[in-house]
Amino acid sequence: MYSTFLTADIISADLVVTIVTLLVPIYIVATLLYVVRVAKGPTVPDMVLAVDVMAYDLAVFIIILAIIFRSVYLAVGALPLVLWAYILDMFVAKYLEKEKELGE
Amino acid sequence: MFDPIIELARLVGLVIGIALVVLGAIMDLIAAIGMNRFTNFYLRLHAATVGTIGGSVYPLVGLALIALCSDVFPTLTERLYVAGIALVTAFFVALTAPVGSHVLARAAHRSGEAKHVNPEPVVDKLKEDRGE
Repeated sequence: MYSTFLTADIISADLVVTIVTLLVPIYIVATLLYVVRVAKGPTVPDMVLAVDVMAYDLAVFIIILAIIFRSVYLAVGALPLVLWAYILDMFVAKYLEKEKELGE
Repeated sequence: MFDPIIELARLVGLVIGIALVVLGAIMDLIAAIGMNRFTNFYLRLHAATVGTIGGSVYPLVGLALIALCSDVFPTLTERLYVAGIALVTAFFVALTAPVGSHVLARAAHRSGEAKHVNPEPVVDKLKEDRGE
C-alpha cells in the first residue's frame, strides 16, 4: 500500500515562514538600490522606471509579509499598487509627449 | 481523510513555489544592481524587465503556490484567498509592466528627454524616420 506521509511533516509551515523571512533582506536591499536610482536618476523616465519596479517589488513584499504574519488581510494591497504603477506610467508618458507638442 | 495523491501534489507545488520565490528574489537583486550600473535610460529598461517579470511575476506565482500548498494558512478559504490575490496580481504585472515600459520608452524617445545618452548612439533610424 501507499506509505503515509503528510506535506506538513516534510516541509512544515514554520520552515516555509523561515525560508520566506530570509528573503526579506534581499528585497530590502533591492528596494534601497532602486531608491538610489530614483534619487540620482538624471532624467524623469529614469525615475519613473525605478518607481515602477519598486512598486512591483512592494506588491511581492506585501504578500511575503502576509505569509510571514499569517494574516490574510495584508494581501489585499498588492493589486492596487500594481495598477497604480501602470497609471503612473501612462500619465508621465502623456505629459512628456504633450510637453514636446507645446514646444518645450 | 488522507489522500496520497493530493499530499504528493501539495509537496511538489510547495517545492516549486519556494524555488520560484528564491529565484525571483535573486533576479530582483540582479535587476536592482543593473539599474545602478547601466549608464543610460534605454539600457536601464533592460534591467527593469528583469526586475518586473523575473523579480515580480515569478515570486508572485511562487507565493500563490506556497499559500495554496503549505499549512501557513489554516483553512482552505484563506489559502484560496491569498493565492487568488497573488495570481491576479501576477497576471496584471505580466500584462501592464511591458505596456508601461513601451509607453515610457516611446515618450522618452519622442520627447527627447533621454537625449544625451552615454555612450552616444552611432545611428538612430527611428529619429531619422520621424524627420528630425
